[in-house]
Parts: sequence; C-alpha cells; structure tokens
Amino acid sequence: MSYYLAAGTWANQYTDTGWFAVALTVLLCLFVLYNIALSHKKFKEGKTTFIRRIAGLNSIDEAVGRATEMGRPVLMVPGLGGLGPVVVQALTIFSSITRTAAKFANPIILCCADAAVYTVAQETIRDVYQSEGLADRYDPSSVRFVSDRQFAFAAGVSGIILRDQVAATFFMGDFYAESLIFAETANMAGAIQIASSTQTTQTPFFIASCDYVLIGDEFYAASAYLSREPTLTGSMTGQDWCKMMVIFLVVLGAIINTQEIARVTFGPGGIFNQHYINQDKQHSAIVNLPAARPAKSSDSPIEHLFNPQDDPSLQKTIVRDQNPPDRKGASD
Amino acid sequence: MIWHNFWTGPNNSFLLWLRIILAFVIPSALFYSIRSVSPFTRKIIVAAAFFFTGGVYVFYFLWPQPIHRQPLDIPRNLSESIGFMLSDSVPVAADVANIVGAFLLGLGVYSVFSIHVDKIRKGHRDSPFSIALIISVFLMLFFGYLNYYQTLKAPPGVNMTLPQNWHFAQYARDFLFNGVLQQMDAAMFSLIAFYILSAAYRAFRIRSIEATVLLATALILVLKVMGVVADPWSQLVHGLHFGNNQFGDNFTFLNISNFLQNSFQSSSIRAVDFGVGIGALAMALRLWLSIDKQTGT
Repeated sequence: MSYYLAAGTWANQYTDTGWFAVALTVLLCLFVLYNIALSHKKFKEGKTTFIRRIAGLNSIDEAVGRATEMGRPVLMVPGLGGLGPVVVQALTIFSSITRTAAKFANPIILCCADAAVYTVAQETIRDVYQSEGLADRYDPSSVRFVSDRQFAFAAGVSGIILRDQVAATFFMGDFYAESLIFAETANMAGAIQIASSTQTTQTPFFIASCDYVLIGDEFYAASAYLSREPTLTGSMTGQDWCKMMVIFLVVLGAIINTQEIARVTFGPGGIFNQHYINQDKQHSAIVNLPAARPAKSSDSPIEHLFNPQDDPSLQKTIVRDQNPPDRKGASD
Repeated sequence: MIWHNFWTGPNNSFLLWLRIILAFVIPSALFYSIRSVSPFTRKIIVAAAFFFTGGVYVFYFLWPQPIHRQPLDIPRNLSESIGFMLSDSVPVAADVANIVGAFLLGLGVYSVFSIHVDKIRKGHRDSPFSIALIISVFLMLFFGYLNYYQTLKAPPGVNMTLPQNWHFAQYARDFLFNGVLQQMDAAMFSLIAFYILSAAYRAFRIRSIEATVLLATALILVLKVMGVVADPWSQLVHGLHFGNNQFGDNFTFLNISNFLQNSFQSSSIRAVDFGVGIGALAMALRLWLSIDKQTGT
C-alpha cells in the first residue's frame, strides 16, 4: 500500500500531522470561546470566578501609592515588540495602572519603541483620563516615542529613569537584552519594580533584579485579575482548559512513546526477539519497503506525529499547467 | 505570461485602474465614515474591519496552501484558486501595514521633536542633551540623503561602496553611523555584563532551601565553562569506573550541566512557553472577534 497524505492538494500544515495541528488549534479556540460564553452566563447569575492571588498585581496600588507619596513619576514600558497581542495586553495593564495614578494625580511616563504602539498607547492613556473625568490631568508628553533602535531605546529610558528618579516601574511586554539595563538602572534609582516578559530568556533577569515578576501566562491573566470582567475571566478559564489539554497530550505522548520504546526493546518484537516491519513512513507517505527491516523506536506513530518532515516527492507529483487552453484571468 | 488574481491586473487595463481607484476610494470612505458616525457605529465598523482583515489570516491558516508554487503557475481547481488568492493577499496586507507604519513613524518622530523642542524652549536643565539630539537627527538625515544621492548619481563604473571613491558626505555618514552610533550601541550592550554581575550578587544569596538549590545549580553551570576547574575535575572523575564502564564520566561538569539543562531547564521553559502561547492565542481570538471590553475603550 502506498498513499500520499493529500498530495498535491493539501498544504504543509496538513501533509505530515494531517488534521491534528489544525484540529487542535480549533479545539483550543473553542475551549476559550465556550468558557467566555459560560462566564457571561455565570456573571448574569451573580456568580464570580475565583482567581488565585498574584503578588505582582496586588502590589500595583502599593507601587503607585509610593510614587505619589514621593512625588515622583511612574514609568511604564511595553517592550520592544510591535503592535500585537503582547503589546495590547501590556497596554491593558498600563491603562489599569494609569487609572490608579490618575486618581492620585500622579505623573506617569510611558516609553515606546514602536511608532504604532506609541499612537495606540497615546489614545489608550488619553481614554483612561477621559473616562475617569480627569482629562485636564492628561499630559500628552507623558506617552513618548523614544527610539526604535534597541540600545538607543535602552539608553533613552535609562536616562529618563535616572533624571526623573522614577518611584515605580512597570516593564511588561517583549523584552530582550535591554531588560537588565532597565531593571538595574531602576534599582539604582530605588524604584519599586513590577515586570513581566513573554520572552522566557529574559524572565530570569527580571526575577533577579525586580521586586515582583509575572511569569509566563500570568501576564495574560493580569487584565482578568485586575478587572474581573466576565469575558476576560472566561477566557482565562478557557486557557486553563487548553493547558489541561496540552498536559493530557504530553502525558499521552510520553506513555505511547515509552510503550513503543519498551515494545521495540523488550517486547515480543523487541531487540531480543527482533520485530521486522515491511512498511515505513517516508517524507509524509506510508510506503512499502523493498525488504522488511528491524523496527526502531523512531518508527512509532507518535514520533512521526511530532516530527514533521518536508516532502520533496510532492514537488514531483504537482504539475500545474502554465499554458492551459482557457487562460481565464491571464494576460501577457 | 502572468496569472493575475484579485490583487493584481494586466498593465494599463481597465480592471487594474478600477482596482487602484477602489483601493483609494474604499479606505477614504471608511476613514470618513469612522470620523462622522456615532461612537457605537464606529465600534461596529472597527470590529467589522478587524474581523475581515483578521479573517484573511485565519482563512490563510486553515485553507490548504499551494505546495511548491512557481511564479508562472496557474491554479488547477477552485481549491488552488482560493489558496493562490490567499497566499497572494499576505504580501498585500504586509505592504498596507508597511505604509501605515511609515506614517506612524512620522508621528513618532513628531513626538520626539515636540518633547525636546519644548525642553529647549523652557530652558530645562537637560536642554543641552535635547539640542544634541536634534542636531544629531538633522546631521544624520542630511548626510544620509546626500550619500544616497551621490551614490545614485555616481558616474558609471564608479563603485561608491569603496572608500577610495568616497567624498566628504560618505566619510561623514560613515563616521556618524559606524563611528558613533554603532559604537554607542556596542557600549550599551557591553554594560549588560556588569549589570548581570550586580544582579547575580543580589539574587544568589542563601536564604532558603530553594535558593540553595538554585545557587548550587548555578555554580555547576558556571564551573562548566571554567576550564581551569572543569578539566582537572574531568580527569579526576574519568578514573572512576566499574570494569569497562566509565561510570565517573557521568559526573563531569559538562555532563551534569547537560543533565540539568535538558531535564529540568528545557521542560520548565517549555511549560512556560505553552502557557504564553495559549495566552497569546486567547488574546488574539478576543481581539479578532472584538469581544475584549478592556481593550475596546
């Protein structure tokens, strides 16, 4: 038997793992949407979702209050990333911080490294002041575009930290090598620091030098934690379902892989009692082997599933007509 | 022979001109409608635009894309036609994003100027820095464009990338970019080494059992890259063996570090990455469907 997984028709995302990757993504999306709907239903019934305590977010009021007492500004940095989910999440948290700062009439500084982020941040912060009825306290220069060069941005923000002697700093978003420069400079200025990065390589630096750090998906839970809005709490519950699904798949994969290794090594068809196979998966296709060969642990289905391979044979199977009789929509 | 899809058209054809005109008219109408309608309707328009543009990418992910497509290929069936159109739409979307980004960069530069000009006007104590910044911006702009113009207008056969053909503009641009900007970048980067040291000094203190384990692990990783310690230790443990089994080799700093990194560090980082990835998926879903009340202010 020899077949190609939808050769010539399906794309790379379907060739090796079949529908698995796409189906899993759709399933994860459904988990989130279902829980959002469920959370709204619960909210209407007067029920609330329990969220465990996150120390870093509990300390926002403390940090802003400290800045107010000292009469120094609060600094917020959404990282180097462009306008995307990470930055939008960071701005959501910053809008909550700004709301607290606006009530205390505390100055804020929000430094951006991306022009698109700068414009969105400016609108977001202005909206916060207007929604609180404190539009007169909004300072347009509080949201600044510093530079889109990594170390020029690092130097600019460090200068602001030291010159303005900021009392509280919030570093949330995509940070890279500049993370430690910010955190250590703010430490020198004696600022209370709350940080979070979606870059796992930078999280240890923040842990070493900041007072509070949101690790991993705590960053995405922050807006739900601060607002308790049903859409966000439902989304967070959906994320937990997704994580359970991933954990289940990891455990299942480990069991199947272990079983395969055990079978190949110790089982009736194992190394000591050699098991031969006459079919193999080569470049996304199951093909008959010219001669049976001993089975290996890499022949397991789970190994095939999680090790996608490009299929050079597909290149040969596709012959698109470049000059068909009816060239509808074509021209010289 | 080029196959034209929804995003392109034959040169000077009515179809191409119609598409160009529509490309101006539709965004202009959208922009005008957004400005003139009530906030509620504006929200609906923005949500619809989000849903449509995001939908292209979602559809692009779900719809099977053509494999090994060549520039002159023509789709064989409806499935491939849609796949071709979707894959062609992604560069168009990227172009639109670049154009919008260019305008936004102008706003960013305006922000920089407004803050620093204000500082100079008010005679702020940091105004010398602001003056230096504005002069630097204009110098870089002037010499950058002069260098570009002279390179463009260079006589045939004269390679302006070679220093022997340089004029004052090229030397000035090289000095400003490679001589000043790049060096300052490198200086900022090198500061990280000292910051790591000071952060490590504060963080690695034995205050609890967890901190002790962390310190011990860090020490092993540090010793791994210190040849003066790692090599004699490797020689020492190499002598430990049961018969032909080089049992002691498991205890070299290299092998212990590899075990720690592969067994504990990688798995922990992957767990965090899963959480971050799922969080980004949920956030993107909320944004796409405009159901995020927080960000919709």
